[in-house]
Amino acid sequence: MTLWSRARSISRNLLRKQQVERQLDDEVRVYVDMLTDERIAAGMSPSEARRTAQAESGGIEQVKQAVRDRRVGTGLELLWQDARFGLRQLRRNPGFTIAVVAALALGIGANTAIFSVVNAVLLKPLTYPDADRIVHFYRPFPEGRREEASIPEFRSIQQQTSVFSEVAGYDAAGPGFNLTSERPEQVHGIHVTASYFRLFGAPAILGRTFTAHEDAPNGGKVVILSYGLWQRKFGASPDVIGKALSLGNESYTIVGVMEKQFVPMPEADIWLPFQFESVSNNLGHFFHIVAMLQPGIGLSQANAQMKLAGAGFLHDYPKANPAQGFAVESLRETIVGDSRKSLLILLGAVGFVLLIACANVANLLLARATGRKREFAIRSALGASRIRIVRQLLIESVLLAVAGGMLGLALGFVSMRALLAISPAGLPRIGEDGSAIGMDWRVLGFTLAVSLLTGILFGLFPALSASRSDLNSALKESSSRSGTGFRQGKARSLLVIGEVSLALVLLIGSALLIRTFVALQGVGSGFDSHNILTIEMSLNGERYHEAAGVAQLSRDGRDRLNALPGVELSAAAYWLPIDTGDGLGFQIVGRPVKQGCCGGRWMSISPGYLNLFKIPILRGRDFSESDSASAPGVVLINETLATHLWPKENPVGHQIVIGKDLGPAFEEPAREIVGVVADFHNAGLGHPPLPLMIVPIAQVTDGNTALYSDSQPLLWLVRTRNDPHQYLAAISEQLRTASGGFPVAHIRTMDEVMGRSTARESFNMLLLSIFGASALVLAAIGIYGLMAYSVEQRTQEIGIRMALGADRYVIRRLVVWQGMRLALVGVAVGVAAAFGLTRLIASFLFGVEPWDPVAFVCVPLLLTSVALLAVWLPAARASKVDPLQALRAE
Amino acid sequence: MSSKQASLLQGTLDLLVLKALGAGELHGLGISRRIEQVTLGTFLVKPGSLFPALHRMEAAGWLSSFWGESENNRRAKFYRLTRTGKRQLEVETDQWTRVAHAMTSALRAT
Repeated sequence: MTLWSRARSISRNLLRKQQVERQLDDEVRVYVDMLTDERIAAGMSPSEARRTAQAESGGIEQVKQAVRDRRVGTGLELLWQDARFGLRQLRRNPGFTIAVVAALALGIGANTAIFSVVNAVLLKPLTYPDADRIVHFYRPFPEGRREEASIPEFRSIQQQTSVFSEVAGYDAAGPGFNLTSERPEQVHGIHVTASYFRLFGAPAILGRTFTAHEDAPNGGKVVILSYGLWQRKFGASPDVIGKALSLGNESYTIVGVMEKQFVPMPEADIWLPFQFESVSNNLGHFFHIVAMLQPGIGLSQANAQMKLAGAGFLHDYPKANPAQGFAVESLRETIVGDSRKSLLILLGAVGFVLLIACANVANLLLARATGRKREFAIRSALGASRIRIVRQLLIESVLLAVAGGMLGLALGFVSMRALLAISPAGLPRIGEDGSAIGMDWRVLGFTLAVSLLTGILFGLFPALSASRSDLNSALKESSSRSGTGFRQGKARSLLVIGEVSLALVLLIGSALLIRTFVALQGVGSGFDSHNILTIEMSLNGERYHEAAGVAQLSRDGRDRLNALPGVELSAAAYWLPIDTGDGLGFQIVGRPVKQGCCGGRWMSISPGYLNLFKIPILRGRDFSESDSASAPGVVLINETLATHLWPKENPVGHQIVIGKDLGPAFEEPAREIVGVVADFHNAGLGHPPLPLMIVPIAQVTDGNTALYSDSQPLLWLVRTRNDPHQYLAAISEQLRTASGGFPVAHIRTMDEVMGRSTARESFNMLLLSIFGASALVLAAIGIYGLMAYSVEQRTQEIGIRMALGADRYVIRRLVVWQGMRLALVGVAVGVAAAFGLTRLIASFLFGVEPWDPVAFVCVPLLLTSVALLAVWLPAARASKVDPLQALRAE
Repeated sequence: MSSKQASLLQGTLDLLVLKALGAGELHGLGISRRIEQVTLGTFLVKPGSLFPALHRMEAAGWLSSFWGESENNRRAKFYRLTRTGKRQLEVETDQWTRVAHAMTSALRAT
């Protein structure tokens, strides 16, 4: 059969149905007429001839039906008929339809929402050519990993040409740059090696990328613009190449503009050449390394090579940290980080919610199918095959699921946006407030697949059980009393048990996360964060490569700020107390040098910092203005460090040497410990305080000052008497004046910063709580529905029991117990499952164990009480049954 | 007609219809009568199996149809072989001859 003639037949049969039918009718009728003619010609009477002709032909309608059955496209047409019938059925029961579609829309919507985030973060490929071959370098340590690298390490990686075809370096975040035109503005800028643009396959649409010469020391002041900045600042002018861009009052020559599609890694508006001394032996770790794998080289091969290179590096640089190794991972892995696990857990949790919704809908369908038993019996008595009936029911459930899916798609999108607005997720790759989360074929495909799958999942079981009915008895029974068979009762009970146990697992999960969040909120940070503003300022220029320049600026700025009305205190530093990100090693003067001993977090502060955050000094003294560059070196240590290294004595008065062996620019004389500060959470609220050294900003080595000025902005901190926002304009103005025109950026209150530091936890908690609450409601509705239905079915039985002397309490107990038995079994199963599953979220918990007794007692109690409530209503109705009425109703 | 007979007749009926139309265009009753005639009255094809077969073979592109006048002036639907149909007639004739030959010799063997 040719495809063409088949297609033509299908289209004719389906599209010009009336004509086809009329012709068929004519054709068969003429056949009978002609047969009659023959008989008359043979001498039969006309009426006799017609009768026998008709009898012999076997009935016109039957012949037509036989043709129709064989007709191509019949399958499609039947499907269409079934779908239309299904739609009519659903329209006739609006209450049922709305309940089902709403439950599914909730379930599918929640899944779509989570999946759209999973898609944006985990699934969408990076947008670079050969992105799956780009790897990121890190140094594994026994206790964790470090992603920053040093110049000698960069050199060592560059030599691994057997596994890497290209190696590039870039700043972690960059200090920010001050566009000092008529309207000063801070922009994101990062230093990159010349190979950076080659590796990311990013061509310039105007001009060119950096040359090797420009990337060498003294290669000149050149800059490349992002497409966005070129549009915004230069009105997309094509003759921008060669023009000057003023950064921090220094003039840079624009050599190129990047194409629009290039997604900078990390975020950047401008790029500057690194120009580092490639022969430097400076072991400071201040930038990131990415590499392109040679074609055909796998990650494991590369890592085998990295292991050797790491060992070789330690041999060549005995002063490097002996605990470190070399390793690479795919760049996407680095970006995604540990959000993969939390997202997958959320996806699993939301899948549970959908399963519960499915169970509810299946229960509703089962009840409805029972009511329609007679309809199916009649249909099969009229010759409908079992497959036809199952198909009819499946089509109805798929229709429901698709309607729920479409509604869920919209719902999911709106709710995810709302959620991200309430709680920033702290997730990578989602853009500013989740702007990168969008609709694409993956999300649409996922929702479609989920809808169809749920339609079949909740529809197949009721469909099969409904079609299994015994024709004879179904027809004989009166329609209303065609009751719940034992098998169906069992199926519905199992569904309810399943629902309850899934809900319990979700609720325990959310209870654990809530307790984690509360525990985090209850952690005393160790410092005060009220009425404090944090303001960023990028320090561009040679002047800020020396400690004296930064110290001078800090002094001037603070003098101006402190003179403002409403300002209590001000300070300058590079780190906030909640996250002191840098670490350095040190040696104790007078103690033997021990390999691997002594290191800790390190930060530099201006005087006033500790007072501003109300961090108490336990021993000794705070810094003052007299701890200047020319004064003897001083250092403060925190309590953790003090008790760790001087468990029995007073550390004040001892001397340490910080940052030995990092290189000549980092050499500094011994510092005297002048005080011990109380511990505060310097590595996030969820971590215990780490050992910490604090030095005056005026006494930092020039090497470190230059490194900081080139890699992160200076932070101004201002404590005001009341709400700090009202002083914003005056503060910004004073800082601009003090710095000679530098703009300020990223102004936030310290309270906001604290909120963001637990953004991930609050996001997870909020989501899981919403899921848990939905699960609870759905499970309660499930139990209620089952019991209400069962009471309705058993009205007569209850009437008889009452007539025989059972009182209302007995009846109520009967119903309550029937429902609660299911709920309790579900709770037991759920508790067992939760014991196994909560281990998965152990790493997200803080201050609470995965088997937390409070959660494991309270949640089952809560669920049981809600179940009791859901059972109580039908039980109360059962106990109010009037036996006379119930019996007479038959 | 039981399903067993139908399946037995399936291939045969197609071939008989093709053969009947081999000589020229015919309407439904004409095909019936021609088959009855050429099989010496062995096969009486009823409309219940004739029409589904005709429609199926038309959809397959073996037959084409048109409305015309019958011998006693009734408007009837006529069928004729298409080029594909003629080829199909040859193929099926060949096949049938081979099968018939094989069956005959198989049944003759002792």
